[in-house]
Amino acid sequence: MRRIDAMVGAMLVAISLVAGVAFASGDQEANRSIRLTQNKPEIDDALQSYARTWSERTGIGATVQSVGGGSGASIGQQLRADFAAGEMPDIFAIEGIEMYREWERIVLDLSDESWVDETTVAFSVDGAVYGFPVSIEGWGLAYNADILRQVGIDPSTLTNYDAYVDAFARIDAVKDELGLQSVVSMAASIEMGWVTAHHNFNSLLSNGLAYDDQSVAQALLAGQVDQQRLGEYADWVALLFRYADPAVLITGNYDAQVGAFATGRTAFLHQGNWVDPNLAGANVTFEVGYAPHGSSRRDTVGIFVAAPSFYVINAESPNIEAAKQFLADMVFTQAGHDYMVNEAGMIPAFRTVQIGPAGPLSRAVQEWTAEGNVYAWNQYQFTTEFRDQTLATIYNRFAAGQIDRDEFVRLMTEAFEQLAN
Amino acid sequence: MQRLHRNGPLFWAFLTPVLIAFLMVIVIPFCIGVLYSFTDWNATARAGQGLRIVGFENFTASFRDPSFLYSFLLTLVYTVLNVAVINTVAIAVALAVTGKLRFRNAYRMGFFIPYLIGGLILGFLWQFIFNSAIPAIGRSVGFLRAFAEPDNLLLGSVPTSVLALVIVGSWQYAGYIMMIYVAAIEGVPQELYEAAHIDGANAWERFRTITIPMIAQAFTITMFLTLVNSFKQFDVNFALTSGGPATTFMGESILGTELLAMNIYNTAFVGNDLAAGQARAALFFIVLVAFSLIQVTYNKQREQEL
Repeated sequence: MRRIDAMVGAMLVAISLVAGVAFASGDQEANRSIRLTQNKPEIDDALQSYARTWSERTGIGATVQSVGGGSGASIGQQLRADFAAGEMPDIFAIEGIEMYREWERIVLDLSDESWVDETTVAFSVDGAVYGFPVSIEGWGLAYNADILRQVGIDPSTLTNYDAYVDAFARIDAVKDELGLQSVVSMAASIEMGWVTAHHNFNSLLSNGLAYDDQSVAQALLAGQVDQQRLGEYADWVALLFRYADPAVLITGNYDAQVGAFATGRTAFLHQGNWVDPNLAGANVTFEVGYAPHGSSRRDTVGIFVAAPSFYVINAESPNIEAAKQFLADMVFTQAGHDYMVNEAGMIPAFRTVQIGPAGPLSRAVQEWTAEGNVYAWNQYQFTTEFRDQTLATIYNRFAAGQIDRDEFVRLMTEAFEQLAN
Repeated sequence: MQRLHRNGPLFWAFLTPVLIAFLMVIVIPFCIGVLYSFTDWNATARAGQGLRIVGFENFTASFRDPSFLYSFLLTLVYTVLNVAVINTVAIAVALAVTGKLRFRNAYRMGFFIPYLIGGLILGFLWQFIFNSAIPAIGRSVGFLRAFAEPDNLLLGSVPTSVLALVIVGSWQYAGYIMMIYVAAIEGVPQELYEAAHIDGANAWERFRTITIPMIAQAFTITMFLTLVNSFKQFDVNFALTSGGPATTFMGESILGTELLAMNIYNTAFVGNDLAAGQARAALFFIVLVAFSLIQVTYNKQREQEL
């Protein structure tokens, strides 16, 4: 018996030794490679393969983890889990100032990086640059130019609320002849809260304002609500909801919403240029473009364009130099340009990149940007909780007809006032 | 017992790996979690943030939060419905597949297979069925036209969404519970049925006076499993409804089909308040243990009576 006990004891010791060694070698592995966590699942394939070629060239390992999209875990959730586990990635994506504050203590200052001079949309706080712009994205109201032509509407006249009221009514009157299911493809289910409470919400915050004018967002954060502006915005939301297909609006997911537009069953789509691959996948032959949002009675000639997210480097990472090189190589090597534009289909945020994306909506965003007719994104000044739990439920109830326009204004006002407390 | 005692050291040596695993992944994290629920921990690197003890604040705040109270009530409703539907369906199909049915093994397998599909995939599958397949049938079949109406979409309103959750939850779990009933029913001695048959008892009387008392032990376990499973429902909830559509409770706009587990998840990861989520998880644990104990005690008593 004693011998067996001894054997078992020896085995246990051996197992723990093996486990210990495995652990230690895992640590060494980490020192020779970088890890990137990002929030755009649609570019996952392209980024993975770029990271592989980069690794082969430099001899430094690179792993990419993509989270987010639809109802999956968001990047914020993933990062908090990683941080709690002590496995923070070397490079990770942030969306804006609110997310920057969450990680402020470990975000590295990148002001001296060579790519800083090559872009105008780097993420900076108080003059110091912290974030590498992943790409440029934008949205207005995407339109099907063929349908507008058939009805006789010039998209360049769609610059204010009244123009949209008129255009929507005219299309709606002939929608059966055109084979349309509805005028607008809009989604407001809880799962699609990012369309209403992030993107549409930005019309209230930024439409018609100078690019660096954050006054409306700041006032709302302080609990001061401009009833005139909010009222006009509520009319715009009501208009979009009224002319949307109720099934897509209330229960539709991303595929249902984009699919309705891609198959020519709606004249407008409330989405950004990231739907280009979906349109290509549906073999869209009609011409598309962007018109500004009509959330104001005044003319607002511009669409919402910005860098959607920024790569930041973990200041506590043991691989800071490798991480810096990974980012710089994207800007200064041909392989990097090819990845950003041709493989991932993104609009590059850097002057060094000479090639342009092929997607029609991406080109439309580039044209609006080239003309300087752009408004900012200010929705990320609000917390995820506020957008996804407080605002998304209000939009959802409005879409489902549980509340009317005045009640919507009252609930939104209340939500902003509670922010200040 | 004598043998066990003699092999004491060996016995413990073999048990050690399991005990270590249990200790490391269940007991210790549980205790740490309970400790965290008394702090303001939130797992980010915000400037100037440390770990502060806040006492029972997370717990009292939870009871003031309409969304938590609503989730609590909703989970109770959902659990009652789900336990009733799953067990009714399970016992019905169990009786069917233990009868004289051709291909009964194929049926057993068929009913069991949904249990092997993950809840997330099930959620997305059924979302497609509810949102696209059913309206499509409604459009093509004349007398089912009502299904094509956007107002009648199952996931379009709160009560019908809860119903949808029950349908999917039952579809997933009834096959598993059926297996337990099948095993119990097959263990009932045939002589009892034959004797009852001779005495002139009809099918319903045989079921009520022989089958039910003889499978009382199975009820204890199936009730326990369905109760706990319904209470902890998360994946189907997450994939099928994401907590929507919205509703109002105590004057606030909140998610209408957010069950407790999802409320905990949203508090922790969307609301970025991990300590509050942890506090709610602790409350969840206490309530679940209490309900389970009551249920098991009650069923045990019934077993005796029957």
